[in-house]
Amino acid sequence: MRLLAKRLSGRVIQNINSTFSGGGVAEILQRMVPLLTELGVDARWSVIKGDMPFFEVTKKIHNTLHGRPDPFTQQDISIFNETSRKNIEEHNLVGDIIFVHDPQPVALVERKKELGKKWIWRCHIDVSKPNEEVWSFLQPWVLQYDASVFSAPAFSRSLPIRQFLISPSIDPLSDKNRELSRDTVDAVLAKYKIPGDKPIILQVSRFDYLKDPVGVIQAFRQVKRSIACRLVLAGGTATDDPESDKVLAEVMERAGNDPDIHVLLIPPGSDIEINALQRAAAIVLQKSLKEGFALTVSEALWKEKAVVASAVGGIPLQVQNKFTGLLSHGIEGTAYAIRQLLGNPEYARWLGKNGKEHVKNNFLITRHLKEYMLLFLALDRPEDVIYL
Amino acid sequence: MNEAISWPDIVVPVAVFAAALIATLWLRRVSYRSLISWAKRTEWQGDDILLQATQGASVLWCITISAALGIAVSPMTARWKSLGGDGLWTLLVLSLALTGFNLANQLIPMYGEKFQLPRHIIKLTGTIARAIIIVIGILLLLEIWGVPTSPILLVVALIVLIAALAFRETLPNLLAGFQLNTTEQVKVGDYIKLETGEEGYVKAIDWRMTQIEGLDRSTIFVPNRKLIQSTVINYGRPIKKAKESFRFYDRLHLKELTGLKARNLRELTDILKNAPDSIVYYHTHNFLEEHHYLTPEPANDFALWVSDVLGDVVLGERLASVDAFEFPGLSALRERLVNVMEECLAQGSESRQAPEGREFHFIKSVSVILPTPYIARDLREFLESLRKLSLGSLYFHIFESRLRLQRATNDFSLWLEQSLDEPELAGEIARFDPYTFTLEGTKSQLIQLIEKRLQ
Repeated sequence: MRLLAKRLSGRVIQNINSTFSGGGVAEILQRMVPLLTELGVDARWSVIKGDMPFFEVTKKIHNTLHGRPDPFTQQDISIFNETSRKNIEEHNLVGDIIFVHDPQPVALVERKKELGKKWIWRCHIDVSKPNEEVWSFLQPWVLQYDASVFSAPAFSRSLPIRQFLISPSIDPLSDKNRELSRDTVDAVLAKYKIPGDKPIILQVSRFDYLKDPVGVIQAFRQVKRSIACRLVLAGGTATDDPESDKVLAEVMERAGNDPDIHVLLIPPGSDIEINALQRAAAIVLQKSLKEGFALTVSEALWKEKAVVASAVGGIPLQVQNKFTGLLSHGIEGTAYAIRQLLGNPEYARWLGKNGKEHVKNNFLITRHLKEYMLLFLALDRPEDVIYL
Repeated sequence: MNEAISWPDIVVPVAVFAAALIATLWLRRVSYRSLISWAKRTEWQGDDILLQATQGASVLWCITISAALGIAVSPMTARWKSLGGDGLWTLLVLSLALTGFNLANQLIPMYGEKFQLPRHIIKLTGTIARAIIIVIGILLLLEIWGVPTSPILLVVALIVLIAALAFRETLPNLLAGFQLNTTEQVKVGDYIKLETGEEGYVKAIDWRMTQIEGLDRSTIFVPNRKLIQSTVINYGRPIKKAKESFRFYDRLHLKELTGLKARNLRELTDILKNAPDSIVYYHTHNFLEEHHYLTPEPANDFALWVSDVLGDVVLGERLASVDAFEFPGLSALRERLVNVMEECLAQGSESRQAPEGREFHFIKSVSVILPTPYIARDLREFLESLRKLSLGSLYFHIFESRLRLQRATNDFSLWLEQSLDEPELAGEIARFDPYTFTLEGTKSQLIQLIEKRLQ
């Protein structure tokens, strides 16, 4: 890695996204930028400015790129263009390689003609079946980039620019993934009043329709009919996601007074608590309807947990069905997989062990860092075999 | 009152002196002749130097012995005899000092060169040796002539103590270096491995340090004292050297999406027919790279997709059984895969469609090749480098070089045959099918083959 970093010396890598905290992108950059700096790469990170209406529009863009049929109005376009124009004028672009994350800052590439430099668009979301109106709106900017990066092959579209596949990653030494003592895990369970009397089924995700928390409750209720267990839905919010309160309210309503369902609103930065909940769980779910990559799956696999997840987005990359976890395609399938694992703990343990090995080889931050550096180096090299 | 001196009083001592001188000189001549002839037959140069250094002084010893006998038989008074004795002792001390000087002048440069000591250290050691001889000589002479020597001895002891303190770090290393050279436990040119993990060829053993050249051509300095104290595996002298050294490379890769995707077997076959080698390579080796820990004989992506997504387990099995090891290049491998798919299509198996979101996405592999610090010039260095090699590096030299870079065989076999003249070992490695092992398994198999050859 140091050898690769040495080859990048003298070049500034500027990461740009829309928030410093909350959500997977900010989480990755919080780890990635210091590590690149430690390796001797001049990596920087800046965020664009935006008000609540802008983030409501970008949330809508996010959902519609995932395929939700929300209307994209002229007003939405005006709000997005207005904030983008301000950012194009004001944002300080100092990088030799400008690494733009997700659609919110996508329009900054308009300054490419003026500044030159290399521009990469890192798309963390699934744009395989987007709302065409929204994609057509964004596409003119996307095509100005030198290269794009997607998290899973299914996210790619036929584009005339180079597209690379780089999966995100987890940091095994972060508070969210490091080893915890049994006492810490018990203390977190006590804090949230979760008794340890029954196996815990956990889903960690933002309160978002695309994570299908309501579907999780339905699957849980099917399992509970035959096997005693508890469900923990632990979620957070992000500054660029104004919809989460609405989803949380609906989830609370569906959970009702069921003492075996625990809905936890966990504030950003509660990484040790998330870690403890994952370690306490018998099974970790990720029953998303659409996904970017779903790093929560790698987090659970790293803790040797049996995972049941939908075959969407980047999840099939992490869960090799029946080798490193179980893939499901609906509520019934999820309930069936949970029953299979609760009834056969040895099988669950075997899957968990394989899962950890798989994450160790493919989804740790070291691999991610390496691939980003390779990407920066490969930008000027079109050949298939590059000798450095 | 003085007694009168008679002629016999003079003649007898002189005759004794003359006779003794003739006898001792004759004895010296005979002894030296046979000793020199014996010394010439030995390998050790020290005896030649010893004889040469004492040759001049030995004449003085003959004179001293003869004079002592002459004085002993003379009728001189005790006082004069005592004075004569002291004079003869003085002569003996001077002759011994002369011998010491000669020995220091010849032995110190000889051993200095043997131990590869720097020139200034040889010079300094010579000066110190001569100073010690002078000091001891002066002390002896003072003792002979009755001058008190205790204060001088005290000063000398102090100087020795200060010198010992100043050289407290160096002295053990110097002695250890001497021990290494004399016992020849470790010699220049040996390949050694220390318990702390350092290894390589011994390039030099000087008066303080032993220099080892590591596998990455770095120089490791080990204090002689530590080398003596630690457990060292000495593999001995270098073995057969290669005509050209082998440089190990590491291989990293990026996945580039092509935007091409197939929904059914027909589309899969059509795209594969015209796909570049980088795509064929990726999809026939991706599972091996990502799941190398899990299972040997990994399936290719085509086989997995046809079985898991299209649900055609029979075709999946046929595609999985296409052994990449049998093919000399990617074109031939592609042709074989396409043939299997077309045979299946000819039997009417194209109706199965992938569900939405489970299409086959064609990806190409972009390899980035980097030199590692490891270079092997012989089989032992090759083995030790192999032990340290990353799986990416092993993957490059075994899989990628053969199929993707279209070399006739893997890199290791090529080098072993062409540069190291090891055709048997090269053949064994070339025949070894790495697809039947995990990457770790492949590595240990190769290590075992080479260890066997080295034994």
